[in-house]
Amino acid sequence: MAALALASSLLAACGGDSGTPELVWYINPDSGGQDAVAEKCSTDDYTISTQVLPQDAGQQRIQLARRLAAKDPEIDLMSLDPPFTAEFADAGFLAEVPQDAREQLEQQGTFQGALDAATWNDKLVVFPFWSNTQVLWYRKSFVEKAGIDMSQPVTWDQIIDAASENGGKIGVQANKYEGYVVWINALVEGAGGTILENPEEGVDAEITLGDEAGQKAAGIIEKLASSEAAPADLSVSNEGTAGSTFGSDQGSFLVNWTYIFKNYDETAPDVAKDIGYTRYPQTVEGEESRPPYGGIGIGVSAYSDDQELALEAAQCLVDPESQGINADLTGNMPASTEGYEYEALQETFPADLLELFQTSVDAAAPRTVTPYWSDVSGSIQNIWHPPRSVDDETPERSTTFIEDVLKGGDLL
Amino acid sequence: MAGNTSGKTAVGTWIGFALIMLWCLFPVAWIISLSFKSEGETAAGSAQFLPKEPTFDNYKAIIDNPDFTRALINSFGISLIATLLSVIFATLAAYAIARLEFKGKRLVLSLALAIAMFPVVALVGPLFDMWTTFGLFNTWPGLVIPYMSFTLPLAIWTLSAFFREIPWEMEQAAQVDGATSWQAFRKVIVPLAAPGVFTAAILTFFFAWNEFVLAISLTSTTSSRTVPAQMSFFVGPDPFNPPYAQLATASVIVTLPVIVIVLLFQRKIVAGLTSGAVKG
Amino acid sequence: MSTAVAPETEKSGKDHRKGSKPVVSDRTSAENRLGLKLVAPAVVLMLLVTAYPMLQALYLSLFRYRLTAPDDRAFVGVDNYLTILSDDQFWLSTGTTVLIMVVTVAVELVIGFAFAMVMHRIVFARGLMRTSILIPYGIITVVSAFAWQFAFSLNNGFVNAWFSWLPWIAEDTNWFGDYWHAMFAIMVSEIWKTTPFMALLLLAGLAQVSEDMLEAAKVDGATWWQRLTKVILPNMRAAIMVAVLFRALDAYRIFDNIFVMTKGAEGTQSISFLTYRQVIEQMQLGLGSAMSVLLFLSVLLLAWLIVKLFRVDLAQARGEG
Repeated sequence: MAALALASSLLAACGGDSGTPELVWYINPDSGGQDAVAEKCSTDDYTISTQVLPQDAGQQRIQLARRLAAKDPEIDLMSLDPPFTAEFADAGFLAEVPQDAREQLEQQGTFQGALDAATWNDKLVVFPFWSNTQVLWYRKSFVEKAGIDMSQPVTWDQIIDAASENGGKIGVQANKYEGYVVWINALVEGAGGTILENPEEGVDAEITLGDEAGQKAAGIIEKLASSEAAPADLSVSNEGTAGSTFGSDQGSFLVNWTYIFKNYDETAPDVAKDIGYTRYPQTVEGEESRPPYGGIGIGVSAYSDDQELALEAAQCLVDPESQGINADLTGNMPASTEGYEYEALQETFPADLLELFQTSVDAAAPRTVTPYWSDVSGSIQNIWHPPRSVDDETPERSTTFIEDVLKGGDLL
Repeated sequence: MAGNTSGKTAVGTWIGFALIMLWCLFPVAWIISLSFKSEGETAAGSAQFLPKEPTFDNYKAIIDNPDFTRALINSFGISLIATLLSVIFATLAAYAIARLEFKGKRLVLSLALAIAMFPVVALVGPLFDMWTTFGLFNTWPGLVIPYMSFTLPLAIWTLSAFFREIPWEMEQAAQVDGATSWQAFRKVIVPLAAPGVFTAAILTFFFAWNEFVLAISLTSTTSSRTVPAQMSFFVGPDPFNPPYAQLATASVIVTLPVIVIVLLFQRKIVAGLTSGAVKG
Repeated sequence: MSTAVAPETEKSGKDHRKGSKPVVSDRTSAENRLGLKLVAPAVVLMLLVTAYPMLQALYLSLFRYRLTAPDDRAFVGVDNYLTILSDDQFWLSTGTTVLIMVVTVAVELVIGFAFAMVMHRIVFARGLMRTSILIPYGIITVVSAFAWQFAFSLNNGFVNAWFSWLPWIAEDTNWFGDYWHAMFAIMVSEIWKTTPFMALLLLAGLAQVSEDMLEAAKVDGATWWQRLTKVILPNMRAAIMVAVLFRALDAYRIFDNIFVMTKGAEGTQSISFLTYRQVIEQMQLGLGSAMSVLLFLSVLLLAWLIVKLFRVDLAQARGEG
């Protein structure tokens, strides 16, 4: 009974008796950046409160999409992962970004890649908030021991060989989840290919994963999975476990997002001092690598009761200062050049690393913008997982499978 | 008879006893031990059973975590309401089944049996569709209603088994004295049936407390998400590492009510679980 | 036994009443009405949440219908069913599910029986033992899954450290890195949690075995094994069958453990998990509904098979009229 009484008092509290509307912002978990920005952007007209979504990007999509499909007015703002933007926009879940906000975004130097990922059917549907990319992190002590020159671009083959020969393990993301497809996409794009073409055709898009670039990507995964450099937990590895591998005695190389740089400061200061960084490894020697593109855009729900206010709030949430505050607190880099100029950020990160981040974002290969990304990604995960099973037939098999799934001929 | 028991069997029983205790309590001990490991220890990887430096930090963090406390309130609220309502309806039905002759009795029993076997997952799609139409998605009633339905069979069985043991002459005596069936039920049987009802309530509560499939499918925020669902989406202080120790702590906390109930009512629960289940 | 008891007392009650209340048919129909009134709420509730949605699933299963593409909804007849039945994954998941069901129920039966024997014989600490054995039963399945997932975890589990002397376990065995290891971990969690339930049902059955009969067999010189197979087990048949039926159907619906421990990776997805993925993750209400219908039918089939194969008389076994 006490629980009931408590619950009803809580419900009453949620109802809100004060006059200012409450905008609810569904955020992906982070270390406090979005909370700080929400507080900063709350005004006399509205307060922004946050609700944390699950950690896994796929789960975030599910939680949001189910409620939006039910036209739930209680979602005002949401942090969206780029690959699911198109799906949400296509389903009519997102309010369009108004013209003046668009101009502000362009003015503050929002990266083209971020704008592209935020656009569906020529309409800007989310506010690019932060833009993330991966670089190659390495342990200085390890490359010294292995004798590799890290000032030149390196290839996957090189680092796998170097790690295998010197008792190192390479940290990647290869669990059965979105992060694995991020890796696969970067490998494919790095070989000049792409996973699918003509995404505007919807389910009839052309799947090109089986082409030569896909073969190259499969070759690298196969090589790593069967090499000495594969960590024992390869098939369940994610950003966190890969970070642990990198921090362990066997740490050598790691591909991971920007925030990992601050990861060891408190837990393992020795490791923090030992971190080096360079451009994402090449799939094919001599061909520029295409680092993964990630990030978060802020979408305004089409079903929000306070859509006008939410659009206004979103504009504040993505201004350069907000982006800077967030980046400084979380290590999730701004989506615009002006955001990078935030002072504290300049102090937290070395200048050459910030520069590397920006050039990497410029060169990054976003995952194809299609409303069917979750099917494409899920199909790839199905066929390419576990990494140990990848061989030269994998790309072709996944092409057929994606086509079947898209046309409703196969279960996922 | 005990005299016949040879020394060998006694030793066997002792060993069996020890094994059962190990079986039942060891994983619980593991979870408790894990809940006292520090975040640093699990982040670095700690293969040993006991914590290196036991700490209460996880308990503090979990109790301060509004998402978890909210989920705990949801779990208690939803489970208690579902239990209360389910037991009321089941009591009525079980009384009718145990005591009255009416058409369709067999049908009701078959239905209950079928629902006890029902694959809950098969319902999430249509239920989701219905609940969004009725505005029940992500609300307490949205979970309470299906929990009631799925606990009714168990409650009806348990209760009808208990009701059969009740001395019905008393009811008849009341009826002779001029009471109607309804009055006889209310005045005479209810007090006698109370222990059985209580047992059914415990079993029902366990079901609702444990339920997972509907909890993740029919909720989407902490306003109605129960503990099992919240745990599966749990995000620790480090968003990219599973918060082992905190999850273990959450596990310990949600297991406490179970342990308390079991400690207080073990005899009743065993009776309820097996009553009606096995009658030669 | 109670099958016969209830109607008889009822009759005698009526006989008794004949004197005071002359119109019997009124009494009977009043009883009939009251009975229906009393069961009505429960029945309505059970049907509301099962029968009606199931009919809706049947209807939806004939459409191509996806929540995120609502405009694309179209009638496709039985296409969804054909898609599913011709799909490898459906059959692989079914195979995995059946494997989990058979192995866990078999292991639980053996261990549960051993537990029941111990509990039946034990003369001390009965309360302590009952309390202990109810803990796994009462614990949340998700918690059990986490406990075992962590125990088997590569970096934070003790299993590798403690059992690395076994030839097939190494310090760095990744228990969630391949099918058999992952299945093992899932089954351990399932078996740990549900064996107590099995043991308690069997214990109740054991109590029905007459001590006199056992004593007589002993006097006749029957060995321990003969007493077990000739006296104890046959007399516990009903209890065993009920336990098997309930646990088998329960295991067939396995979901929580898989969701927590592997999320269906390494081919460990069960049929329930596959259905969940279509409906909730893919938001394919059409295809997902068809899966739901098939899942429902397969449970019915399974229940029917067990009842027929083992000739379980549920009504008798449960003491229901």
